[in-house]
Formats: sequence, structure tokens, C-alpha cells
Amino acid sequence: MNTEQASIKAPKRKNSSPWAIARRKFFHNKLAMISSVFLMTVIILSFLAPYITTVDISRVNIGETSLTPSSDHWLGTDQSGRDVFTRLLYGGRVSLTVGMSVTAIVVVFGTLIGSIAGYFGGFVDNILMRFTDFILNFPFLVFVIVLSSLLFGHVSGVWVLIAVISGLSWGGVARIVRSKILAEKENEYILAAESIGTSSAKIITRHLLPNVLSTIIVQATLLFATMIVAEAGLSYLGFGVPQEVPSWGNMLTSSRQPDVLQNKPWIWIPPGLAIVFTILSINFIGEGLKDALNPKSNR
Amino acid sequence: MKKKLWFLLVLMFSLTLLLAACSDDSSSSDGGNDNNGNSNNEGQSDNGGDNNDGEASGPQEGGTIVYALDSEPKGLFNINFYGDAVDAQVIEFFDDSLIQYDENLKPQPNVAEWATEDNKVYTFTFQEGVKWHNGEELTVNDWVFALETIAHPDYDGPRWANVKNIEGAQAFQDGEADSISGLNVVSDYEIEVTFDQARVNNLENLWTYAMSQKEFEGVEVADMSASDQVRVNPVGIGPFKVTKIVPGESVQFEAFEDYWQGAPHLDGVVLKVIDPSLVIGELQNSQLDMTEFHPSSFDEISAMDNVEVLRAPGVSYYYIGFRLGNYDSDAGKATMDYEKYQNVELRKAMAHAINRQEWVDEFFFGLGAPINRPVPSAHWISADDADLENHFEYDPELAKQILDDAGYVDTNDDGWREDPNGEEFSVKFSHYATNNPTFETRAKTITQYWEDIGLKAELEMTDANLYYDLLEEGDEGMETFFGGWSTGADPDPTALWQSDALWNFPRWVDEKNDQLMADALDMDIVGTDQDKRKEIYVEWQQNINEQIPMIPIAELEEVLAVSDRLQGVELDLSGKNSPHEWWVKQD
Amino acid sequence: MLKYSLRRILGMIPMLFLISIVVFSLAKLMPGDALGGEIDPLNTDPEYIEEMREKLGYNDPIVVQYFDWVTGFVQGDFGQSVKYKMDVSDLILEKLPNTIFLGMMSLLITYVLALIMGIYAGRKPYTVGDHLIGGLNYLGLAIPSFVAAIFAIYFFSFQLNWFPSNGSVDIMVQEGTLDYWLSRLHHVILPAIVLGALSTASYTQFLRNDIIDNSRRDFVRTARAKGTSRSKIYNVHILRNSIIPLVTFLGFDIVSIIGGAVITETIFTYPGIGQLFVNSVSSRDYSVVMAITMMFSCLVLVGNLIADILYGIVDPRIRLD
Repeated sequence: MNTEQASIKAPKRKNSSPWAIARRKFFHNKLAMISSVFLMTVIILSFLAPYITTVDISRVNIGETSLTPSSDHWLGTDQSGRDVFTRLLYGGRVSLTVGMSVTAIVVVFGTLIGSIAGYFGGFVDNILMRFTDFILNFPFLVFVIVLSSLLFGHVSGVWVLIAVISGLSWGGVARIVRSKILAEKENEYILAAESIGTSSAKIITRHLLPNVLSTIIVQATLLFATMIVAEAGLSYLGFGVPQEVPSWGNMLTSSRQPDVLQNKPWIWIPPGLAIVFTILSINFIGEGLKDALNPKSNR
Repeated sequence: MKKKLWFLLVLMFSLTLLLAACSDDSSSSDGGNDNNGNSNNEGQSDNGGDNNDGEASGPQEGGTIVYALDSEPKGLFNINFYGDAVDAQVIEFFDDSLIQYDENLKPQPNVAEWATEDNKVYTFTFQEGVKWHNGEELTVNDWVFALETIAHPDYDGPRWANVKNIEGAQAFQDGEADSISGLNVVSDYEIEVTFDQARVNNLENLWTYAMSQKEFEGVEVADMSASDQVRVNPVGIGPFKVTKIVPGESVQFEAFEDYWQGAPHLDGVVLKVIDPSLVIGELQNSQLDMTEFHPSSFDEISAMDNVEVLRAPGVSYYYIGFRLGNYDSDAGKATMDYEKYQNVELRKAMAHAINRQEWVDEFFFGLGAPINRPVPSAHWISADDADLENHFEYDPELAKQILDDAGYVDTNDDGWREDPNGEEFSVKFSHYATNNPTFETRAKTITQYWEDIGLKAELEMTDANLYYDLLEEGDEGMETFFGGWSTGADPDPTALWQSDALWNFPRWVDEKNDQLMADALDMDIVGTDQDKRKEIYVEWQQNINEQIPMIPIAELEEVLAVSDRLQGVELDLSGKNSPHEWWVKQD
Repeated sequence: MLKYSLRRILGMIPMLFLISIVVFSLAKLMPGDALGGEIDPLNTDPEYIEEMREKLGYNDPIVVQYFDWVTGFVQGDFGQSVKYKMDVSDLILEKLPNTIFLGMMSLLITYVLALIMGIYAGRKPYTVGDHLIGGLNYLGLAIPSFVAAIFAIYFFSFQLNWFPSNGSVDIMVQEGTLDYWLSRLHHVILPAIVLGALSTASYTQFLRNDIIDNSRRDFVRTARAKGTSRSKIYNVHILRNSIIPLVTFLGFDIVSIIGGAVITETIFTYPGIGQLFVNSVSSRDYSVVMAITMMFSCLVLVGNLIADILYGIVDPRIRLD
């Protein structure tokens, strides 16, 4: 469909710009397309949850606890008598919010540090990269656990978690961006720009970043997946978003009760599968993007 | 390339060596345990011959039972040092108290008898011939040793409160005396204990466990809690002796043939840490003979053919406290100056709003009952419900009526009641949070009850480690709060409900309350008359029931699952009967 | 090489020093302490708790506390666990063998599985088997380890009853016997597979692609032209070249096992360092939390160092200094 459109409307020259090629490659990748559709559905459903269901998600319903799936409750109810399907939607909202926010913060911050370090080099580079190493050398999980139990209760839970995870995960992006910039800045056009007195900020934003953008995009997709996992894992262990907030990780926590794990799988399997399929689809999209943005690949 | 590969292999190999060296520690201790294991097996085969003599009707000899601990013990296997409930479960099997408590928690003689005329000087007489597991005979000196260890400045356990009332204990702790002057050894089997003053409850508060002097010879008090005598080879005077301890996983016992109440029927006991997730399966497969369990498994376990569930009244109760004042921790004084919940009608309405029966059935699976006083019903001081004014029965209409009358009405039509001044009114409710997700549910349910009568309610889950600290500090966020206490052998509630007590979390200041609690301890009023004491405590419960500084919610039952082959186990308010009376039915 | 390693190790000292400050401040900033969670009128009284806080030095100035801790730490004294009332070092030593056993088993399973699957897929690319392995790999990469653990317990422990769902060993067996080790093995397999799933997937992928790459190289063509048998080409020539880069991942494995152990041990209630850590954070047993965090940080540093060194050995083009 895309090619058809292109041949009618767009002139040939524009069609073969690197981005257009990438887009075409991506649209041709079936797995990535299916994944995109799936992910979009999950995102839309989650964020429209308040409009889809009108049930008060926090209300405990004694007498309706641990019901098996039925037409009233598509996925049954949990031990508090709350509808699992509704909570799954709301849970997705929290999990995806955490994932997206962290990814956004990490990408912006990591890119900033990485590009400054890479472009200026020398002393600045040294200081910034030492700091990055320092952050990277923390055992991630261990520090998130300590940090979030430290902040718990002082600030609204979800944002604490976002801040903590972001604060400890920007190191990887910074390193990658730095090395890309290092390579890129040796190009003659940069030297040329410098020689005519273009400001550093302009060189970085106008000339260097667009060239490392593809790397950043791929990184961001993978990060998004990692961060959803991080939220879920931490919440599962009891160090993530507060218990009263539904998130996929918090819903999975109920499987720590032997009775639920063994006899009431409808309570924990849906959030488990939601996590798995979301991560899978993000990974496929990431793979698709990587292929699409790699000029050498010809799939 | 080859050379490099070689280097890699060396590197990896040296890593493995390092790791192997680390794990060696555990295997070297295997040898010692093996010996124990062997002697244990011999003991079993010795007793094997006796089995046939056992009669079908009476207790049969022999057999080993498996008892499940639901979490790992901390490893402080000496009654004088432990502080953890799981450790206590282990200690029960190998050590005995000098006195014991009956099913109403009244003291009874055990190893020792006592006599007193004035509640100040007590004479304790020990049974003769009671043996420690190390072969030594128990004498009063072992008890003196225990008390002086606890009073020692280097002692790091939590029992000082049970010793400090002995005359001269404080001087001993301060280093002004070489011994506790109030302990007067008459003979090996008789001792006179003098307290600093006569009290109604001196005996109940006294530390009545001995500690083998011989065993701890040469160990400094500061090193005791970490010593092998506590952690690896603990000894006691109980019916079973420890043969093997795998830290954090299991403890094995064998029968102590010289036990002072007669040799146990069982050959041995194995205590295993079994995750609650596996307990049901293990019980079903008859792999397990006895375990405590979570109320949520009650239905499933009581349905099993091969398992019997023993139930007994418990000693703990839950309540919802109202914040009524503030506490000055430096001066140790509380003032009742927090306005929000001062109106007793409001508190009463909030009590009537809660369907306690439904709540207990849902979250404790029927293994509990609503109560109307901060004392469990089975305790000997507990007041009869008929003597109490309020029964806090679930009646939302009544609750609404009370609120209407008290001026808590919805004046701005937002669906929630405002306070009598027309200001927005919102109840904050705090509950502690652990990994247990049902806590949030049960707390949320309470706030829903209040919302159903038109009171806006917010729930805050607070980390369990922080919870009581916040209550002690009187944190602004803790307005109404969930709490639980247990009652011990001594019913004196001063530490919990006296106006200036640190743990009187509502900061409820009431003269009558303080007076009654003081009277119940007053020698001039009570003397040695326990009935008189109960009378005063009933009056105290009536007062608290009328004033409602907190809503008593429920008391819990204790449950114990016992396999059908294990016989002779009894459970009451004071706990299990002595394990030397248990026996295994053999085919 | 030696000079480089020495320099890296020296460089770790200021890093560790910084980390120690961070760890200590974090621990001290954590609200509550181990004594607060144990309030119980039958067991404690307010005086005792206050006295213990004084004794443990919780009331000293923060700098004094830090100094005490660091001096002790350097001398190998990690302090006392409030909860267990024993030396932290003893406590850690008690749990360490379990975690090491789990880690080693996980590595072993990872390498064995990755070798088998990678070699198979590499030799027969684009066949059904290869696609099957590829699919498995995708799952291995995508399923978070704790979700995999829950599903694994549900299916393999509860539904199929193949593996125990918790613990490190069956307590009824005698220590030191063959049964004992078999029981330990039986207990460790499920958590080890879950722990190693991610690495297994990435190794398999790596090995497969590398074998395919190598099989197109000149030296293979030469060997084939000389009439060397197909299996010999694959088993000797290609495999040797493909396995070596794999070894460089060892350092990263150490790092990932550390993070993984925390979650995996908690889910399988496997009595190791990870579980001890989570329990200690929950109960605010500071000295244990600080010691384990420091230990993990050191291991991460060492793991990264090993990774870099191995990398330098395998690929001499990468200049280490």
C-alpha cells in the first residue's frame, strides 16, 4: 500500500530518502507490524480504561472474592473481589506509564550526557564518563530496592519508582551515544561546521544527533521493554509501586501466596501473559527497527 | 591462539578452585554431623524392640514425628536469649519453664513450687533429680546463673524487664554488687527470691527459666548469644535433646531418657522449615505430623481425612485506635489535645459501621470472633459481655442516626458528611504493609464500611518496620490505625493503656482508667486475692468499653494441624501440652 | 596485561570508597530500623528497644557511625546482624555456598544448552529445528525471569510434580551421601534454568550466527577443498573459532547472576544471599544490607574487569591501555 501511495504522490527522489526506505522496510516486516498493532491496542485499551469500564477498581467486594472467569467477570475476580480484567487494564496503564516515562527520561538524559562527553572530549569527557561508570557499577536491582524503600511513603509511589529507575539506568545510553558521537565527529563536515564558527550546541543538535538518532531509537525500544520488566519485577518483590495501585507487577504479587499460585491461576496468569506478550512485541518492533534503520540489511 | 586459550583455562580453573574452597566449609562440617546421625540411628533401632509391647489402647512407644516451621529460625536456641517466635517453637521441645500456666493463664507449679506470704519474698522449691541434657543435675544455682546473666551489663537479650524487680538487680547491673542481693540460695533445691517491693504480679513477671551453669562455664556474657552453646549444641531440661541443627533449615531431636517427667513416648522429633506453599501437600502425603498454619488454609486442611485440626482460644486481639492526643517523649507525658476524634459519639458510630463478623469471616476464615474489650475472652480477667455497655453490633442505620444526632451531616451535598462546624471531614486510616497483599484488602474494607455511612475515608498503607515508630512519634498521618496486642500471663495492661505509656498509641488520657489499673496492682487493695483483682479489671474493661478510645475488632484462635497417627496432643490458651505425652499410633 | 589489570584494580579503590559512602548513606536514610518491626508486649519493652538502639550506636553522630563501619569493614568485620544476633560475615558464609552452587549450576546449564542448541542451529540454519530454537530464544530473551519462574513453578512443580518448588535440599536425607547431592541437584535445576535463560538465549544466538559466519570463511573452503570431513570441519575448525569469543561473556555472567539471584532465590525460597538480602531490606537489618550491597558492588567491578581482560586476550586488536 505504501509503495502504491508513494508512486502516485511522492516524487521518486523523496521516496528514497533513508527514512522512507526505513519506513518501507519496517512496514514489510510482518512480525514487527503485527507487534506494533498489538502494542498499540494494549496501549489504547490501557489508557482508555476509565472510559471502558465504570467499575470502581479499588472497591473490595466481600462475597465476590476469587470467582472463576464468567460472563460477568471475564477473567474472574481476585481475592479482594475486584474484577481481574478491569485491573489488568488499569494495571497496564501504570506499567506502561512507568515504562514510557523512564524511557523518555533515560533517553533524554543519557543522550545529553553522552553527546556532551563525546563532543567536547578531554576533561569534560573524563569527568562525565567516570560518573557514568560509577552509576553503571552499582548493582542495579540492589540499589533500586534500597532507594525505593528509602523514598517510599514520602512522595507519591509511582513517581518515586520512575525517578529511582531512571536515575540508575541512563548510563548505558550515555555510553552508546558517546561512542557514536566520537566516531561521527571525526567526519569532515563537522570540521567544516566548526571552522565557520557554528556554535557547539548547534553542531550537536543539528549535525551530530540526527546521525545517531537511529541508534537511539533502537535503544529506546529495548529500554522500554526492560523498564516494563523492571517495574513488574520490583513490584512483585514489594519494592515497586505501592500495593494499592494496580500494576501488572502488583497483580503478579498475589502469586506469592501458595493458595493463589496453585489453585487460582486466573488471578496471576493474565498479568503474567500481558507482560510476556508486551515485551515480546516490543522486542519484535525493536528488531524490525534495527533492520529497517540499518542501511546494510536488505531484508 | 593456543597460548591464549591456555591462559583462559587457567583463569577459569583458578576461579573454580576459589569457589570450591568456599564451599569446602560446609562439607567439612558434614563429618561431625554424620557421627550424630549414626548415634541417632542406633537409638532408634534400640527402641524398635519396645514397639511390640505397646498396647493398642494406651500410648505406644517409639516413632519419630516431623514438625513444620513456617519460616527459618534465627538460631538463638536458648530461652534466655531468643527473641523470635520461630526460635521459641524450637526451644519448646528441649527446655522447660520452672513454673507453667494453665488454660486460663494462671500460674501452676512445674519443676518448681513456690510459696509466699507477702508477695515480696517468695520461696521456690525445685524438684530433685531433674537432669540437664549434658548430664548435670538442675539446681537453683542454674536459675541464679540465668538471672545474673540477664542482669549482666553485657547481656544483649530482651529479658531484663523480667529481672529488674528483684532486689539488688539494678545494683548488680550497675556494677555496684557482685551478686543480686535478692537471691538467697538456701540449698541446692531451695531459694528465696526477694523483690524490691511487694507486688500483686511479681511472680508472673519473674523470669522462670534456668540456664546450665556448667555448660556456659568460661563463656563471657557478651559472647554467649553467639556461642556454640546457644547456636550449635543447646541444652535444656526438656523432653527432647538436640542432636543436629542445620542453620535456617532443620533441627533434629531425640528422646531424653532422663526427662524429669518420665521418658517421652516418641523416639525423636524433626523440625523442618517448610514453606507454607508446601505444607498442604506434605500433610496430604502424610509427610508431616504437626504444623501451625495460616487461617487461609483452614478449609482445605480440615477437609483432609488424615489430619485433625486442633483449635484453641488465642491470646491476641486486634483493634482500631483513634488518635486523641499527642505524646511528649522527653517528658514521657501524653496530653489529650487532638480534636478530630474527641467526640465519643463519632467513635461509637464508626464502631457500629463495621461489620466485624463479616470481616473476621472473610479475612480470618472464621478462626476468630469479634470482641468488645481489649482482653481475649479465655483470659481469667476477661469481663462477661453482659457486663459491658457497648456490643458494637453491626448496624449502619444506627451509625448514621448517631452521626446525624452528633451533627455530622452532609451540608454541601458532595455525598460525604461534614463535621459539626460544616468543615470537610475525612477519616485517615493507617494499616501496616508487608508482602501480604490481603492486608491492603482488609484495610480497604474497613474504610469502605465508613464510607457506607457517609464518612469519607482514606487508606494509607505504611511499611511495617516504620509503623509502630510512627505511632510512637505521633506522626500526623496516623489518625485512625489498625493494631494488635497479645496478652501475657500477667494481665496487667499498664504498659499498653496507662495514660502516659509509650504504647498507649491513641494517647488516651483518663484518670479512672489509670486509677483502676493502679488499684489492680495495689497490695493494699488486692493483696493476694485474685478475685478482687479480676473485679477491678472488669471495671477497667467497662470503662474502656464506654469511652471507646479504640474499637476492639477481633480475637483470633490458635490452630494446629496434627496427623492422625500422632496422638496425645492438646492445645489450649497457654499453648501445646508437653511433647513427652505425645505418641505415635503404629500398625 | 598485568600492568593493565593492576591499574584497573587500583582504580577500583576510589570507586569502592565512593560506593561505600553511597551505600552507607542510603542505609542510614532508610526509615525505621530492625527493632521497630518487633514491637510486641510479650517479648520487648520500650526501655529495651531504646537501650539496644544506644548499644548498636544508632544514636551516634552519622560520621562516627560511618567511620566505625568502614574501619570494621576493611578489617573484615561487617558488624552484627540485629535480626539474627550473629556476625554478618558468618551469616553470609552460611548462605554463600548455596548461591555459588546455584550460580555454577546456572552457568553450566547455560553453556551446555547454548552449545547444543547453538551448534545445531548453526550447522543447520533455516531448518525447522533452527526456527524452533530461534523461537525458544525469543521467548528466553523476552520473558522476564520472575514471570518465567512463576510459570515454571506452576507447571513443573505443581502440575507435573517434577521438581520441588522451594528450598535447597530435602531435609530428611543424610548430609554427605549421594542422595544428599542428588537432592540438592534436584532442587537447584529449576531455579538454575530460570536464572540462566537469558544468557542461554543470547549465547545460542551468538553461537549460531558465528558458526554460520565462519562456515563461509576461506579457511573452511580450503579445508573442504583438501577433503576434510564435514563433521571435522564443524567440530574442530569452526567450533574452536566460535567458542572463544563466548568465553568473554563470563565476566558479564557474574554480573547478571548477581541481579538474577536476588529475584530467583526469593521466588524459589532458595536460602542464598539474594533471599537474605531481600529479607534484610524488608526487616531493615542494616549491617547485612550494607555488607551484601558492598559485596555485590565488588563482584560487579570484578566481573567487568574480567570481561575486559578476557576481551583483550581474545581479540588482541582491542588495546587495553
